[in-house]
Amino acid sequence: MKTEGLGKRFGDEAVVSDVDLRVPRGTAFGYLGPNGAGKTTLIRMLLGLLRPTSGTMELLGLPVPKRRRQALSRVGAIVDEPRFHGHLTGRQNLWALAAAREPEAHGRIEGALARVGLRERADDRVSAYSMGMRQRLGIAACLIADPELLILDEPMNGLDPAGMLEFRELLHSLVEEGRTVVLSSHLLDEVEKTCDAIAIVDRGRIVAQGPIDELRAGGAPILRIECSDPRRAGVLLRNRAGVAAVGEEDGMLRLELAADDPRAETANIAHLLLDAGFQLYRLQPDEDSLEERFLEITSRLGEAA
Amino acid sequence: MSTIALPVPRELGARLVRAEILKLRTRRGLMIASLLLTVGATVATFSILAVLHATDPAHHKLIGGLPHYDDGMYSLTQLSTIAAILIGATAGAGDLAAGFFRNLVVTGRPRWALFAARIPGGLAVLLPMTALAYALTAGLSQVVPGSEGTPSVALMIEAGLWFELYIAVMFLLALGFASLLGSRATTLGILAGLQLLVTPLVQGLHDPGVGAESILGIALWKLAPRELANGAPAGQLGMSLAAEVSVIVVWMVLALGLGCWRTMTRDA
Repeated sequence: MKTEGLGKRFGDEAVVSDVDLRVPRGTAFGYLGPNGAGKTTLIRMLLGLLRPTSGTMELLGLPVPKRRRQALSRVGAIVDEPRFHGHLTGRQNLWALAAAREPEAHGRIEGALARVGLRERADDRVSAYSMGMRQRLGIAACLIADPELLILDEPMNGLDPAGMLEFRELLHSLVEEGRTVVLSSHLLDEVEKTCDAIAIVDRGRIVAQGPIDELRAGGAPILRIECSDPRRAGVLLRNRAGVAAVGEEDGMLRLELAADDPRAETANIAHLLLDAGFQLYRLQPDEDSLEERFLEITSRLGEAA
Repeated sequence: MSTIALPVPRELGARLVRAEILKLRTRRGLMIASLLLTVGATVATFSILAVLHATDPAHHKLIGGLPHYDDGMYSLTQLSTIAAILIGATAGAGDLAAGFFRNLVVTGRPRWALFAARIPGGLAVLLPMTALAYALTAGLSQVVPGSEGTPSVALMIEAGLWFELYIAVMFLLALGFASLLGSRATTLGILAGLQLLVTPLVQGLHDPGVGAESILGIALWKLAPRELANGAPAGQLGMSLAAEVSVIVVWMVLALGLGCWRTMTRDA
């Protein structure tokens, strides 16, 4: 999946601006951003539900909307939230959707229902389904296309923790089969656990893009210290060259290190505190979570704006 | 034995039409209301006539015969029109209201094909129902006809074809408007008002004016067999057959054209 300079305006408001996105085949890719960042609008444009104001798009290497039909025949998608005819059963809804796809799609219905664990409830009306069951039916609707690419918009909404775990395993199995999964979400934790690479979007623009490990490593190293009198220890360390920022969190010191060698700086700080008569209970180097990086990037943009 | 293969466009596809039938047929409320408005209303009308005749034969004629056939056709046409509008509006706006239209669009199937499949799908649900109601009306008019004679076979065939045409046109009108407006309730309100208030009102005028000729319901009634006097416009409307057909065609092209255009351009 690839976009270049993709944009969408509603009147004077630019909801999506100049989005260049590259999603490699066979990966789980997270499109991560806060609510209102333009994630759903981008997905709607990719799927031909909304016309872009500018830019170009490709799905499975095919230009859209020019070869939209061919591209979408191997794409399964859930947009916003999965919605179905409430008066039809789960199986009937899939049947009606399969009718719009190639004839083989009907033969995939039973397999798709089994895979998402809905076989037992497939003959119940969808109006009686929980949100989690609708999400699963949405995935089943994607699977009847035997998709090379799945585009899922906030698929974890409405799932309980067990459902989320199950869902994550399902997505991993889809990627293992060589399919590409694009997951749009505001749930950082879920994206971090599910995806190999991400794009962070804010106010309609992509502000960072790449493998999760690389993005996570882009932040300053963090050192947490549990010691006697953390406030006085903070004052002592505040003006040190190798320390960029000092804070306190849950009774512990939280240092953002600016040194070239964080390990050596950690040892130096330990010596300094012991020499100054502090009791040291714990020194904990802490990798930035994706959440911290995300907040760092988006808040920096917020300040710039 | 050989079969005739109808030239169905590949994009339209019989499966898509069957899916439309499924979506309508499984709406219990819609099916019950439509059956009541067509078959149920016919049974009720003739049952009341039978009871009235049984209790007061001096003032109420036998249930069959030409006059009751004429009256029965008028009420059947009016009530079946409501059923046609209900089914047409549901076929036109049902996917959109359920949020299902989006799922269909992302399959890549051309939107015009999604729209077009609603036409045979809806007619396949509606027309058998109205045909049954008409068969009952025609059949009961042959039973105990009294002294005023029964409708001829030719009249019954002609009136039956006209009735199915009327209902099909009303269905297409509702389908087009619902696809255009995206709302079942608004379509129902507008078209029921047009058919049940405006059209009968203009039909009853002795000097309806030139504009009356452009009303779809009036053009359709002008196509009805002469014997169906109850429901035909009362005033002088000198429409030629070509004018009547033109009015119907223009309404259909407008409704279906706008409905298809909106289906193709709508943000799903």
